[in-house]
Amino acid sequence: MANITKYLSKILLFFFTLIAVSFLQPGNSLALTNDECIECHSDEELTAEKNGKTISLFMDIEIFAGTVHADNGCVSCHEEADVKGDEHPFPMSPVKCENCHDEIAEIYQNSEHGHSAADHHDKMAPTCKDCHTKHNILPPTNKNASTYPLNIPFTCGRCHREGSEMTKTHELSQHNIVENYSMSIHGKGLFVDGLIVTAVCTSCHTAHNVQKASNPESTVNRDNIVETCNQCHVGIVDQFKLSVHGNPDNTTDKKRPICVDCHNSHTIAQVDRKDFRLIIADQCGNCHAHESETYLETYHGRASMLWGGEQTAKCSDCHGSHNIMPLESKKSTINEVNIVETCAKCHPGANQSFTTYLTHATHNDREKYPSLFYTFWAMTGLLVGTFGFFGLHTILWVPRAIIEKFKTTTDEKTSKDN
Amino acid sequence: MDNNEPLYIERFSVFQRLTHLLVIISFLTLAITGMALKFAMEDWAQWIAYMTGGFTVLGALHRFFAIITFFYFFLTMIMLYTKWQESKKSLIGFVLDPEGLVPNLNDLKELIATVKWFLGGPRPYYGHWTYWEKFDFMAVFWGIAVIGSSGLALWFPELFSSFLPGWGLNIATIIHSDEALLAAGFIFTIHFYNTHLRPDKFPLDPVIFVGSMTVAELKHERPREYDQLMASGELDKLTKTRAPEAWLTRLSAVFGIFVVVTGSILVVSIIVTMVKYIHF
Repeated sequence: MANITKYLSKILLFFFTLIAVSFLQPGNSLALTNDECIECHSDEELTAEKNGKTISLFMDIEIFAGTVHADNGCVSCHEEADVKGDEHPFPMSPVKCENCHDEIAEIYQNSEHGHSAADHHDKMAPTCKDCHTKHNILPPTNKNASTYPLNIPFTCGRCHREGSEMTKTHELSQHNIVENYSMSIHGKGLFVDGLIVTAVCTSCHTAHNVQKASNPESTVNRDNIVETCNQCHVGIVDQFKLSVHGNPDNTTDKKRPICVDCHNSHTIAQVDRKDFRLIIADQCGNCHAHESETYLETYHGRASMLWGGEQTAKCSDCHGSHNIMPLESKKSTINEVNIVETCAKCHPGANQSFTTYLTHATHNDREKYPSLFYTFWAMTGLLVGTFGFFGLHTILWVPRAIIEKFKTTTDEKTSKDN
Repeated sequence: MDNNEPLYIERFSVFQRLTHLLVIISFLTLAITGMALKFAMEDWAQWIAYMTGGFTVLGALHRFFAIITFFYFFLTMIMLYTKWQESKKSLIGFVLDPEGLVPNLNDLKELIATVKWFLGGPRPYYGHWTYWEKFDFMAVFWGIAVIGSSGLALWFPELFSSFLPGWGLNIATIIHSDEALLAAGFIFTIHFYNTHLRPDKFPLDPVIFVGSMTVAELKHERPREYDQLMASGELDKLTKTRAPEAWLTRLSAVFGIFVVVTGSILVVSIIVTMVKYIHF
């Protein structure tokens, strides 16, 4: 008998354990099941009044079954709905994603979006559901997800496209960003070439930690941009970090360029396109004003300003772009060991003497270019002399010629009258 | 000359007229295409580049008409050689012919006489070429030598730098561009006025296109030449009653005025631009 009692107690313990464990499961047998919720919410005509608006309370459980939250019970998010009987409180408080996604929620709360929502009570500030949707949350690898790379510009663009309610009511440092992005090399990569590895909004701004560029923590802050671009452009950034512009060992007080100073953030152009080539001198000129101005005085610069002038040598054609080295470096494209080869890219017959052509010459600098200065002034003297002499000659001639003309006309008239 | 039918005398041969036509077309194109590059920062220069099809087209046109320029320079040399042979004079005698194109002491006297005329004195006793006409011819000669040689250096920079320093190309640029500014500025103002726009010729002296002028005009404008021709008895041999063809006169007027207007627009653009960049 003792054995039977012991056996029965073991069976009882097993069932108790089973019941106890079942309490811990989401959607547990004692909480409401999704089937129970759907009994009401599968009705397509089920509506309610909220803030004076009629909202649908219909829930398509089949779509939900394909989302990342398919295994969750309705009441694990809508906790207040977990009551006995047909009625639950309405309206219920907002869903708290942070109950599960606590780490991401913390990042979001510190982001510009999070601050706007919490601190400034900005009704337009996005919360989780604005980007991820409510019930239709798919993994970002799913083509239909709002967070799939091909869809991100549209997701962000709902608020950030020019002319939206948000852009009209907020002061923003950049404009037309979605349009500009679409025309940029990244936008082309995404929309024309269909590359999902192309940079989209979140690649540079991050998804949850979106910050203003002025914030030192921001991925698009001046101090962090190079690393942000480095996520993809590893080979370029490696070169850049060795260059005169990017070398961290190069100590200078001068402001040094970062990626976006030459490649604008949202309008980032295709570098072989003429619109990019035609602004190179201006961009480098932001810091190298004298070099840019004197370059524009030379043949290369003058031709650059004309229609079709994108072919002539631009700063980067001689100096390189990401790999610009100091002149003294043997690796510099304009160091004497490399300069013939550099010129020969366009001038196949280039020789050492040819490379002494002054590519940034100006005749206005007597100290630096005396030969150009004196040639210019000798020519100017010749022009002033010639025009001065013949100008005076003509000025004296005009009144005499008018008098003679008048006399001739009068004479003719007189002879005719006679 | 009491006859109502005016007598005409040839001033320019068909060869000379065609050469001048080549000069006009090539010079005007060279000036427009070159100035578009020199003043590339200006809207009007960018408009020229845009309308012609771009910088490459400008460069191609400029080089093509440079060849035309060398070609008519060569033709003129042949013409001068032929004239020298016909004159049966020594080379120095031909070059320094008092009625030739090289300026001489008499031109200085004529210049002084002209200034006196401007100030109220009598009209000078001009011959076949006045000193400003000689200057026009010599200036083109000189101009082609200077602009042509510096232009060739810029056309073939690799070749020229093999025997000249590379910075010589910077010098060549200044010389080419400023000498061209002088040439274009001179032709489109001084030459235009002296020859076409002055009140007694306005708007155009067609003689360079039609070739002949009336003897009455010759007598008034170039009394020394008229007297020389009368004295040698050649005048009667050279005159004819046939006026230039009407279509040719009309065509010259249209073409000539087009060129004068185009050149004037260009020179006004240049002057406006240069005034803009003068800093005091």
